[in-house]
Amino acid sequence: MFDIALIGSFGAADAADHYLFHIAGIGVSPYITSMWIVMAFLILISFLATRNLQWRPTGLQNVVEMAFEALLDFLGGIMGKKAARKYFPFLATIFIFILFMNYSSVLPGSGTLPWLTTPTTTWSVTLALALCVFFSIHYYGIKEKGLGYFKHFIEPYPFFLPLNLLEEITKPLSLSLRLFGNMFGEKMVGMTLFGLVPLLLPLPAYFLGLLFGSIQAFVFTLLAAVYISTATSGGH
Amino acid sequence: MTDNGIIALAAGLVMALSTIFPALAQGKTATAAMEAIARQPEASGDIRTSLILALAFMEALTIYGLLVAFLLLGNIG
Repeated sequence: MFDIALIGSFGAADAADHYLFHIAGIGVSPYITSMWIVMAFLILISFLATRNLQWRPTGLQNVVEMAFEALLDFLGGIMGKKAARKYFPFLATIFIFILFMNYSSVLPGSGTLPWLTTPTTTWSVTLALALCVFFSIHYYGIKEKGLGYFKHFIEPYPFFLPLNLLEEITKPLSLSLRLFGNMFGEKMVGMTLFGLVPLLLPLPAYFLGLLFGSIQAFVFTLLAAVYISTATSGGH
Repeated sequence: MTDNGIIALAAGLVMALSTIFPALAQGKTATAAMEAIARQPEASGDIRTSLILALAFMEALTIYGLLVAFLLLGNIG
C-alpha cells in the first residue's frame, strides 16, 4: 500500500521516515509513537484536572479552567457564543493537540530518540488533521442546514460552481500545507544550524520555532472555526 | 549548464520570489492594522485576530514556495 510515513519526506532523508514496528500489518513510524506520547500526556492532564471537581477551582483544575475560558472567549469572538459552545470540543481539541505536537520539538531527545519526533513535521499528520476539519465542515453544515447546505455551491451565480468546488478542495490542502511547511521548515533550520555550530546556534531557531508553532496552531484553529461558522450560518 | 545547476537555480529563484511578494503584501497589511488600532484602540482585539488571520494566509504562500524549493533540492544528484 502507500508508504504513508513517507508522504512529506520531500527528498530530505530523515531518520524518522521509517517504520519502527508493525501492528496488524500497519507500519508504526516515530510520528505515530510521538502522537501517542502527546495523547497520553493530554489524557493524563485531563484526568488529573477533572477528578474531585470543585466549585472553587484550585491547582491544576484552575489552570485548565483558565485555558478553557480563554479558548471559549477566543472562539466566541469568531463564531458567536452559542456556536462556540457547540463546536468547542472539536476546535479546542484541535488547538491543544496541535500546540503540544508542535512543542514536542523541544522535548529532550526529540529527533535523536528513535521513537520521539515532532509529528507535525510530516505531511501525513497535518493532512489527517486537515481532512478531519474538512469532513467536519460539511458534517456540521449538513447537520445545521439539512440538504439545503449544498445550495451554497451555486451561490451567488450557478457558474460559480467550479470555483466553489475548487475552494472546497483548497481548504484542506492549504490548512495542511501551511502547518506542515512551517514545522518542516523550522526543523530544517534547526538541523542546518545544528550541523554548523552544534552548541548554541540552534537556540534562537528553537525559540522562533516555539513562537511560530503556537502561531500556527492558533491559525489552524482560527481558520477551522471560520470555515465551520461560514458553513453553518450562511455567509454569502 | 548541467541539470543540477538548473535545479539549484530554480530552487533559489522559487525561494526568492516567494518571499519578496508576500513580504510586501504583509507589510501593507500590518500598516493598515497598525493605523486601525491607532485610530480605535478599543477594537484592537478584533483587529489583532484579523491581522493574524490575514498574515497567515500570505505566509502560506511563502511556505508553498519553500516546499517547492525543498522538492527541487531533493532532486539534486
